[in-house]
Order: sequence, then C-alpha cells, then structure tokens
Amino acid sequence: MSNLKRTQLYDIHVAAGADMVDFGGWEMPIQYPSGIIAEHLYTRQVCSLFDVSHMGRLLIEGPGRTGFLQHVLTSNVLALEPGLAQYCIIPNENGGAVDDAYLYMFREEDFLLVVNAANKEKDLLHLQALVKDYDCTITDISADWAAIAVQGPKSKEMLTVLTGGEAPTEPVKNALRSLPLEGHSAYIAKTGYTGEPLGYEVYVRSVDAAWLWNRLAELGARPAGLGARDTLRLEAGLPLYGHEMGAAPDGSEIPIFAVPLAKFAVSFSPHKGNFVGRAALERQHAAFLRHMNRDFSDASPLLRKIAPIALVDRGVMRAGMELYRDGRSVGWITSGTMVPYFKTEGEGLTTVILQESGKRSIGLAYVDSDLLENDEVEVDVRGKRLKAVLPARHMSVGAPPYARPLLCGYTEETSVAASTDDDRRESILILLRQAADNHQWRQERCVNLIPSENTPSRAVRLLSASDPAFRYAEHKKILSFYDKDVFYYQGTKFIDRVEQLLVEEMKAYLGCQEVETRVISGQMSNMAVFSSLMDWKNRFDRKSEAKRLGYVMNNHIIKGGHLSAQPMGALHDYIAIDPVTEKPAVVSFPMRKDNPYRTDVEETKKLIDRYRPELLIFGKSMVLSKEPVAAIRQFVDEEHIPTTIMYDMAHVLGLVGDHFQRPFEEGAEIVTGSSHKTFFGPQRGVIGVNYRPDELKYGLWETVERRTFPGSVSNHHLGTQLGMLMAAYEMNQFKDEYQRCVIENAKFFARSLHDEGLNVAGDPAVGYTETHQVIICVGYGEGPEMAERLEENNVIVNYQATPNEEGFTASGALRMGVSEMTRFGFGKEDFAHLAHLMAECILRNRPIAEDVAHLRATHEEMRFCFDDAEIEKALAALAEKVGL
Amino acid sequence: MLYPDDRMYSKSHEWVKTEGETAVIGISDYAQDALGDVVFVNLPGEGDEVAMGEAFGDVESVKAVSDLISPVSGTVSAVNEELLDAPENLNKDPYGSWILKVENPTDTEELLSAADYEAFCASEG
Repeated sequence: MSNLKRTQLYDIHVAAGADMVDFGGWEMPIQYPSGIIAEHLYTRQVCSLFDVSHMGRLLIEGPGRTGFLQHVLTSNVLALEPGLAQYCIIPNENGGAVDDAYLYMFREEDFLLVVNAANKEKDLLHLQALVKDYDCTITDISADWAAIAVQGPKSKEMLTVLTGGEAPTEPVKNALRSLPLEGHSAYIAKTGYTGEPLGYEVYVRSVDAAWLWNRLAELGARPAGLGARDTLRLEAGLPLYGHEMGAAPDGSEIPIFAVPLAKFAVSFSPHKGNFVGRAALERQHAAFLRHMNRDFSDASPLLRKIAPIALVDRGVMRAGMELYRDGRSVGWITSGTMVPYFKTEGEGLTTVILQESGKRSIGLAYVDSDLLENDEVEVDVRGKRLKAVLPARHMSVGAPPYARPLLCGYTEETSVAASTDDDRRESILILLRQAADNHQWRQERCVNLIPSENTPSRAVRLLSASDPAFRYAEHKKILSFYDKDVFYYQGTKFIDRVEQLLVEEMKAYLGCQEVETRVISGQMSNMAVFSSLMDWKNRFDRKSEAKRLGYVMNNHIIKGGHLSAQPMGALHDYIAIDPVTEKPAVVSFPMRKDNPYRTDVEETKKLIDRYRPELLIFGKSMVLSKEPVAAIRQFVDEEHIPTTIMYDMAHVLGLVGDHFQRPFEEGAEIVTGSSHKTFFGPQRGVIGVNYRPDELKYGLWETVERRTFPGSVSNHHLGTQLGMLMAAYEMNQFKDEYQRCVIENAKFFARSLHDEGLNVAGDPAVGYTETHQVIICVGYGEGPEMAERLEENNVIVNYQATPNEEGFTASGALRMGVSEMTRFGFGKEDFAHLAHLMAECILRNRPIAEDVAHLRATHEEMRFCFDDAEIEKALAALAEKVGL
Repeated sequence: MLYPDDRMYSKSHEWVKTEGETAVIGISDYAQDALGDVVFVNLPGEGDEVAMGEAFGDVESVKAVSDLISPVSGTVSAVNEELLDAPENLNKDPYGSWILKVENPTDTEELLSAADYEAFCASEG
C-alpha cells in the first residue's frame, strides 16, 4: 500500500480507525468503525465530513481561458459569473465522456476545474494537448489546497459558526463564497455529491485541513468514507465515472446524452464554437429529443440511457447484472447496492422523519432507450430472475433541509370523491354546515394576521353579491366614436357608470392620470402590464416573431419578491433568454448586507448601469421597507437610461399616502396592485398609469387597456367591480386615519413581540417595519410547524422563508400583517395582549385558543366604514333586495 | 473480538454448535467484523442439501457478497427467517443469530476449538 498517494488528512483517518483502500491510486478511507450504513444515515440526519482532497483541482488562468474552456467542456462557461459554479463534462470527439467535472468561478480572473481523482492524469494529458491553441495555462493546485465536503441538514449551521455568523453562501445551489473560517482562508461552494439540499464543499490551504476537519467534528459532524459517499450519490441518482459514464458493462462507450444530467451540462451555444464532440453530441441530442417525444424510430445515436432502478423482489442488485424484459436482454445494472433510509410518518408538510431506518435495494441501470418510467424489468441476480421497476428517481431534494427518499410503490390515499344521486343532498347539508362553521370560526374566533388578507365591509360584500355579479359588460373604446367606450351587451348602463366612477375614485386615490379597473387579480394586473410592455416593444414590427422583455430587474422570490415577477410566475411567457448566459434575462435587486429586508441602493445602481434593464419591477410580498423608487428614478433620469419603472404594490396598495409612499410622486410610471390586502376591496386587481395624453408613452397606456380587454379578460367580474367602488369610497374617506393606525400598530406589535422575547426581523431603529407586516424568526425549518400550532390556537399567520433560507419547506419565519385586525378595531393594548399570548404559545407551547377567541369576540365591529343611520338603512334595503 | 468456547469454528469463519443431534451454524464475530454492515442474507430452503466445504448461501454487505461455506454435509432442517428482515442481527449478535440447522449431519469438517480459532484469526492478520 505504500506506493499509494495520501491526502492531507491521511493521518486523521488512520487514527480514527478507518478501513483504508486503494482508490484510483490513493489510500482512502472506505469506512470508519461506524460503518457505511451509519455514515449514510448520519449524513441524511445531521452532517458528515468527506475527505475529497484526492480529487484533481486544476486552476485555469490566462486571457484565453474562457475560449479554452468553451472548447473543452460541454457546458456554457458564459453562464457563470463570480460566485457561481456549474456541473460539466469533458467530452471526447465521439460524444463520450473523458470525465465529468465541476467548474467553479470563485473570482473574475480564473476558474477552478475539479475532476475525478482516478482520471486526473488522463484529464491533464487530454487538456494539455488542447490548451496549446489558447493563451491559457492549467496548473495542478491539488497539493496546495485540501477539499472537505460538509454535507447534511446541519452543515449550514456548523459552517455558520465558523464564519462568525455570516451565511456560508447564498442559499441557492452552486453558489460560491470566499470568506475566512475562524481566520483561515476558505473557498466555500454550495455543491456536493450526496444530494443533500444543504451541503458544501470547502477548499482550505493544506496546512489548515486538519484544523477544519477537527473543528467541524467538534461541532458534531462525523467522518464518512468512500463507501457512504457511494451509497449517498447512488440514492441521489448521481453518475459515477466508470459506471454511468465511460465504459458500459459490455465495453461500449456510454454516450454523454445517455446520462440524465447531460441536458443541464451540455450547451450548443454559438459562443462555444465547434467544441470537442459537438457534432456527435448534436446527433445524440436530436435522438434524445425524439425519445422525449416517445419517437424511437432512429435510436442509433442513443440506443440506451441511464435510469434509476429499484428492486421489487428481495435481494441486492450489483453492477454488471443483466436486465431482461419480455425475454430480451435490455441492459445492465451500472451501480447497485442496499441503501438505508429513514422511515417517515404522516404526509405532506407534516411528514415526520422517524429514528427508525429501513433498507432498499436500488441502483442505476443502462437500459434500452424505449423503456419508460415505471416499466418493469427482471434482474439476473446470480442466476435468479428478480423483479425490478424503473422509477423516475430515488429521492427528491425539493423540500429542504432534508433529502426525501421516494420509495417505490407509494400510493396516495384519496378521501374525496364526486357526489352521487344518493348522497348529494347529504353532501350539500354537510357543505352548508361546514361553510357556516368556517365563516364563524374565521370571523368570530380567529385573529387573522395573514398580511395578504382582509375582510371587506358589509357594504362592499353586499354590493359584490348583487345583480351585476351575474352579468357581462365587455366594452372597448372605438376610435370612430372619439374613443368612446362601446358596450357589447345590453343592460349595462348602471355598471358603465359604476366603472367610470371607480376609475375616477382610483385616479384620485393613487394620484395618477389613468386607471384600468377590469383586471380581476394582482397577478393578472402584472401579466397585463408585461403583455403591454412586450406589445409596445414590438409595435413597429408585427411581421416578425415578437421580442420578449429583457433585461428585467425584480425582487427575487427568496428576498421576498412576488411570484408575479419571477420567470416561473407571471413573467414566464414575457421574459427573454439572454443568448450569452442561456438563462432568463432577469437581474434582482440586491439587499443590504446589514438588513436583508432593505434594498441596497448603491449596488442597485451598479447593476442597472451594467444590465440596462428595460423594466424595473419594485414591490414584494414579504415587505418591511419602502421601495427606493425616488432614488432609482433620479438615477435612471440622470444617466439617461431608458426604462419603465413599475411598482407592484400588491400588499401595500392600501398604504398609498403620507404614512408610507406616494409611488407616482416618487417617479413610478405604472402601479399594479391587489385590491384586497391593505386596500378595502373585494379580491381584484388594478393598474394605475401616469402617462399624459401628450406623452409618447401614452400609447403604452392604450396598450394596457387593450391587453386587459380583450387581452386578459372577457368577463371582468362586475359584482366585485361594484364592490370595489364602495371600497374606493371607503379608502378615500378613511385612508389617513386607517393608514396611520396600521403602520403604528405594526411597529407597536413588532416592539411588543420583541419585548416578549421573540426574534423580530427588521431594523429596530425604524421600529422593525415600515409597512403593515411584521416578521418573526422562529428557527430554521420551524415555520410550518409553528404556523400550524398557532392555527390550532386560532391565530392565523403564514410560514415564510427568510432571505437566508433555501425554500418554503425550510421556512424559519412567520409573516404577519396587522391590517385586518386594525380594521376590526385592534388598538395598541390589543396587539400587546396578542403578542403576549403568541409568545406563550410559541416559546412555552401553552394553549391559547380560548384566550384568542375571547380577544376576537370583543372585536367584531369594523372601523373605517360608513355607518351613519341613513346609509345603514339603505344597506338594509339593498340586503333585502339581494336576498341576503 | 469474541471467541466463545461453547462451540467449534471452521477456517472459513463459520461456527458450529451441537444441540443434541443437530448442528447449528452461524458466522463468527471475526467474520461479521470483516464483512461490515450485513445488508442481505441469501439462505437455503428447508430440505435443501448442503455439502461440507461448499457454499450454502451468501451474506451481502454494502460493497461485496461473501459465500457462506458449510462445515457439515446433510439436509437443512431449519433456517433463521428473522435474518431476511433483520440481516444486521448477524453484526449485532453473531453468536445468538444462527443461520441454519442441519439435523443428523452425515459429515463434518475438521473444526477448531475457540482457542485454536483465535490463534488462527491472529495469524490471518
């Protein structure tokens, strides 16, 4: 064994009693005395350390480095920027893999390419032959820097101790950061080979390797060897060179596109020129697309593919075992073994991970391309034919902080069925009773703190349920009639007047030139605006494919931005792809380092200068601060940057005024909003636009009208539009007092929660919040359970991921709003009492349901309503007419 | 490492305990330690014939499969079905988790006493 290479941590492994083996010429620990099974489980439950210093670390430098890497890797290197990494493959001319690798761009001036230990020499020979044509150097720095993988749900917490409280990286996969760990230089990557949603690879100087390993062990991490590394990556469905790439069990070369990850790792960007293997890969890709469409007519470039496989019968599948279907040989196992998992109880968000573990025989297989998900095959296990199935995956990482095993054969129980003639009446009686119970519960016993919700006044509700609710009133301005609105339906004179009045009330409320009221939700308002901007952008050329919007600046969902402004939300069909990065042309407002809930204006200006976005979308759904509209308006005007400034006010539409912001006065051109959050309306949307008829961009307003109708609606829900007029009257009458109360109550509630010992987010110097929202942090991943506990106690809040959390299942906060309860007359004493009750529940798990119901029972009268005797009488008359 | 002296051992690391006319067979502590976590046991069936010196089944660990060599010849009278659901019992309790029983074995290997087996294991390194 003495000719084998040793990593910087060899002595530690030996001292720990590890079983050492020859791995690609290195003496590495396959397992420690704990054993592979325990090491695998500890990774999934807590955190494991893996010495990955044997892997090849190559530094790529020089002015020609990007061109070189574009040529020798399958990936689009231009998709990277400092702080990002990407998975890639080193291809050969046949479209097979020389190796798979990871490319890191820690900084502007160079790249780090990490390759498999067993292939390093081969990779270097291959790359050095090709680098001759480029002004670029490859330096093997493996000896100078050690690499330790820190993987598991507690990994982030442990590294955060070493960073002194700073997040190790942004909470997204492939994010990178360079920052010292207790004084030792380190490069941290949110990457890994275990499939853990929380996991990092840390590069430190060789001299610091032992220190880092031991320090993390002190914090509770345990060593894991190559054995567990293999079972973990197998469960995660990740390929291993030599098994899922390189040579197949029959000696043939596995095409790159046989591997599912190829679709992410391979780019055909024109910026990659005629990169190594391009032609072969293009043929494979064409076959891959045909196969996705279940067209197997010409499978020759891609006869087989790598797929997950799970054994149904009892036994263990191993690499090399042959697979059969209908008597034919259809492939082989490429990797397989018995893998442990933690059992669970319950379902959905309330799933509980137990201490008890099970085992399952799973693997990866190289199978004929025409086999489909859930197909059954037989595996030849040392002469016996055992049944197996091809699941889509063995595991999901979509619910951080835990990796979730997906067991074959799981069937969902359905408890809901359609009614039958026999039970329909009974179903209706149950429905009516339950509807009454629910209404009573929410309106009489609950303290409703969901910030996007409110209860409209009786007047608004009555009007919303009256006759126009069943009617149509489509209308369009007709040029021939001096742009008068012409209605397509009869019986619309009343609602025509209502809509005109509503437009005038909203213009007065928002302080703008034009208002579109036909949109029926906030998200629809946004889509209508995006559609308008795109239509406006292409107005001179209706003969070519319409150009999409890009670059667009938004608030990222992780930082509190709304779905509307994300490419996976309403922006989906309107956002362009940046041809250089091959990613959506979106850049997000950066948040301040000292306050992740407030935009960093100076950094924003730099990004605007760099990307020249044609649309800026202010506004958030998790919001504690005013948006810096005025500062950015001034900047883009001074710099003559042509752009459209939009403010999706959503939550804060009801706060337009002196106590919060006046968006149009600050320089916004378009405001969209939800009429039912802080605004008193029923559930609808609204678009306010501030172009004057003599401005060029007035044409954009006219486009908004058309993209609303007929673009977004046909029926624009007349009932709630009528209710909206009443709500607009209420807002215009009571807004000053209402807004003052809401913001005062929010700050007071925040302060009270803080005084009760809860961790309130935001800047104490401004009273934690400038809006109706209050956010409290209850512990990483604790949000959903806490929100459920509060609901059981009649306090309705929602769990919320903070800017530092990976996704909603890892939510560590609760988001609350004071507007609804302010409308029901809550004052400071009430919010103080509520804060106390909530602290009892959250911190001491005391039941508070009856106290909360009692608190609510004394607040069933709404404030900020018209309640004089004559109006009451008129309302009663209307109620009778409407039959309510 | 345990070497209880209430039974005999083979050089392929199985133990044999005689209970009346029946040979009870398992694997030693040394064997389970070398195997690592046992994840699956392939057992013969009741009534199957086993032959001295030949494989009668195998034991699978995460990384490898190892044959179980029978120290006796005869007919399998019982197998420990618990091992199908809990193969890890072989690791936790190698001497309490028997694998199979052979009633009236027709032939038996030359077996080592606990002391001789311990010395043998020491020399295996």
